[in-house]
Amino acid sequence: MRAAARPGPPAPGAAGPLTRRRAARRRGPSYFVREGVAGFWRSGLMSVAAVTITMVTLVALGVALVVAGVLDQLTRSVERRAEVVVYLNDGVRAGDLAALRARLLRLSGVTGLTYVSKDEALSDFQQTLGGKVDLGDLLSRNPLPASFRVAVDGPDRLREVADAASTLPHVEHAGYGAETADRLLGLTRAVRLGGAAAGGLLALAAVIIVLNTIRLTVFARRAEIEVMRLVGATAWFIRWPFVVEGALTGAAGALAALGLVAGAYAWLAWGARLSLPFLPLPSPEQVALMLAWKLMVWGVLIGTGGSLLAVRRYLSL
Amino acid sequence: MGPAVAAAVILPGAGPDGQDPAMVEFCRVSKRYPTGVTVLADVTLRIDPEEFVFIVGPTGAGKSTLMKMLYREERPSSGTVLVAGRDVTRLPARDVPFLRRKVGIVFQDFKLLPRKTAWENVAFALEVTGTPPAEADRRVAEVLEVVGLAARADAVPAELSAGEQQRVSIARALVHRPPLLLADEPTGNLDPDTSWEIVQLLSQIHLQGTTVIVTTHDKTIVDILRKRVIALERGAVVRDEVRGRYAGGG
Repeated sequence: MRAAARPGPPAPGAAGPLTRRRAARRRGPSYFVREGVAGFWRSGLMSVAAVTITMVTLVALGVALVVAGVLDQLTRSVERRAEVVVYLNDGVRAGDLAALRARLLRLSGVTGLTYVSKDEALSDFQQTLGGKVDLGDLLSRNPLPASFRVAVDGPDRLREVADAASTLPHVEHAGYGAETADRLLGLTRAVRLGGAAAGGLLALAAVIIVLNTIRLTVFARRAEIEVMRLVGATAWFIRWPFVVEGALTGAAGALAALGLVAGAYAWLAWGARLSLPFLPLPSPEQVALMLAWKLMVWGVLIGTGGSLLAVRRYLSL
Repeated sequence: MGPAVAAAVILPGAGPDGQDPAMVEFCRVSKRYPTGVTVLADVTLRIDPEEFVFIVGPTGAGKSTLMKMLYREERPSSGTVLVAGRDVTRLPARDVPFLRRKVGIVFQDFKLLPRKTAWENVAFALEVTGTPPAEADRRVAEVLEVVGLAARADAVPAELSAGEQQRVSIARALVHRPPLLLADEPTGNLDPDTSWEIVQLLSQIHLQGTTVIVTTHDKTIVDILRKRVIALERGAVVRDEVRGRYAGGG
């Protein structure tokens, strides 16, 4: 009782028409991708909706990532300076300056200080602008204050030193980088949280829409699925094309979102470089690279998640 | 996993009682639905390799359910169903596809894919089970030859007569070279002449060594062929004759 129906070789006459026939198509990854792509097109407008909502989700996520990234970079550039900057009123006489220097050095926690004159402050600033602009030509008078840069022996002494310094005569304001850094950190955290919340809600909507798109494909292919089951295709062989379709939908949404967010950032960064050249912004290339893989991973996760749910709910094998 | 299971399905050990292994064995099989409907009631029967069996009976007698249990589309509420010595009621879900590659199935409504040609419909069964294309091409050519449709291989189902469509579906059922062929009302949609041709094709396949089980309403065919007939009524076997007729007695 071995396999039956074992006919002889095909009759000579039959070889002609049969050999002209298209060869049986290859299975394997290319089969799943081809069927996945076919499903994507077959779902038409529904696929467009799924790609769009995925894109919107990832734009929200991308914007949050970029803003948080920029804030991060700003925070770090501020934090690096572990010193208190004591800004002076204009027109302090040399004797008062020497007295102030002595009093600052006597404050507990202070390990040293350097004086930055108004002229030096201006030329420093000019340097951060890349030396392209001669501010001396533009300004009738130097708006920058002179300052003492006071080195402190630990970051926990910064506030104490700054508070003490600001009570001294001729001091206009004493501040430290960490103050700004703290505020930036808070802002970064808020952006991250907001991004995660908005992204999470949108991702949920995206997953549901992908799920419904895949359900349409399952419905459109129900005859084929039935035959596949009956001739002994394995469950995963039947499922894969749907998972591929979902992943493709997610990837398409990710590409669209990447284009939008990276493009918008490049445009804004270009503008900022002209008007606020001292801002330490990450380069558009850096941002695009960071976004590319994060958005792609999330897009594919959303798409695959939606299709796996659809396959579980609507494809009973 | 695949090859091991397939081998177990084709090459069973001897039955527990030392007899030659049966191709199909139903052992006190019942099927009841929670609604209280009983489809099969305590069915016990044995079909040996290379038999040709008609299962007859009125609509709702349980013929289709019986067939579905053989390819694990249905499971009994109680009892065991052995196919080639293997208890398919306990087959893990992941092994069911490998059972189905060893059981060819033919339906009343053909279940052909309308956009695919005859060739592609048959090749599809191999394509989705991972047969290498060259091997698949060879086998499709072979089975289309067996069912006499080599010349119509490029036609889509809409261009084929009902009889030709049923031949394509038989070719698809044979393309995995199953030792067991199930045909559930294969002539239900066909005129008498075409029905007769299809039944003759099934007999030919049987003569090549395949076990064939056919459910039918067609009295004429059953009475002419005089093969084994199992009659079901209200889910129970009421008659089992080696050279039977559609109706009992005569």
